[in-house]
Amino acid sequence: MNQNAIYEQVAIIFKDILEDDTLQLSLSTTPETVEDWNSLAHIQLIVAIEKSFGIKFTAMEAEDLNSIGDIVDTIGKKDYKV
Amino acid sequence: MDVPTQISKATYPLQRKILAKIKQKNPRHAKKLAASLNDLGEEFYKRSEDFFTKYESFLQGQGKSIDYGVESYLKMVADTMYEQIQFMHSGEYTCKSFEDAYRRVYNNPVVMNYYMHGLMMSQFLWRHHYYIFQFFTTRLPSFKKRINNYLEIGGGHGLYLAEAMEIIGDSADYALVDISESSIEIAKSFIANKTVQFILADIYKYQVDQSYDFITMGEVLEHVEDPVSLLSQIHRLLSDDGVAFITTPANAPAIDHIYLFTDADHIREIIHQAGFEVLEDVSFYTEDVSKEKAIQLKIPLMYGAFIKKI
Repeated sequence: MNQNAIYEQVAIIFKDILEDDTLQLSLSTTPETVEDWNSLAHIQLIVAIEKSFGIKFTAMEAEDLNSIGDIVDTIGKKDYKV
Repeated sequence: MDVPTQISKATYPLQRKILAKIKQKNPRHAKKLAASLNDLGEEFYKRSEDFFTKYESFLQGQGKSIDYGVESYLKMVADTMYEQIQFMHSGEYTCKSFEDAYRRVYNNPVVMNYYMHGLMMSQFLWRHHYYIFQFFTTRLPSFKKRINNYLEIGGGHGLYLAEAMEIIGDSADYALVDISESSIEIAKSFIANKTVQFILADIYKYQVDQSYDFITMGEVLEHVEDPVSLLSQIHRLLSDDGVAFITTPANAPAIDHIYLFTDADHIREIIHQAGFEVLEDVSFYTEDVSKEKAIQLKIPLMYGAFIKKI
């Protein structure tokens, strides 16, 4: 799976968790540019991403995922499943 | 959302500074705080500023600034977030025994220190903490006539004891028992009153040849393996017509939470098993979501109750 495919899967999860199909997302999207990406949503996003990709983030990674680009890069370094 | 507009720089400079610092370091969490601290009323902002001013003064006495409190708070928030992620996967707390909590937190001075300071900050950053405190301060006056001896267990920052002393007055004797020496030091600095007995002890081993008319124990039950046994100790220490005020959370993972209460009914059941009846209780979800969503996501619930012996 390349970076684009990981991004597409992450974007689906974002729209699902934040309950907004019209969200304009990109690799540079951050909590500052998406109003509903707050601390509760972040926890839900991480849980959903971990389940979807079959991975575990470390505590430090979970804390430092500050953009969709960070999330995609971090998933890419792990032994994820499609 | 930015820092709530009610928290003006001129009137509440310390709260403004704290929230701005949190926003700079953790914008995701700042959003939650800004939304939850919005419109809490002047009484809250005044109390909060007063609390943080006392806390800042305590920190300065230790050669630290309020930034130390904010950094500690954000470390605790990060720890708690990770515990919540594990909880959403497994439905269990990661600490299975007191031994686990002792190893991870109580016997680890670095973690213990930031965790304790983080909890201090949360008293006036987390709306549910304030709601429970309000419940306590509005109902306590109805019991004050019968209180000659007052005991607080696990007093932490001493906020509850200071308020109880304000409400009940000089006619009662006051004692605070805590297992942590550093917690007692903080409480002493917050309660500038030499008549209070500060006792460093494990409440399970605390032996005294008197009973208390009122006992307060905030957020301790979730830290033990057997909450019925701890409540039974309160039962022994409480006078026959005495009243206790207990708070504890359900579905609230944290690095040292051991006993998992699943909802308010579960907490009431444990209270009943220890020989108490609930006089009045309240509960608040820690996130601003619908009840259905709170149950679905297992959002932490803070519970508080006035109880008496059956």
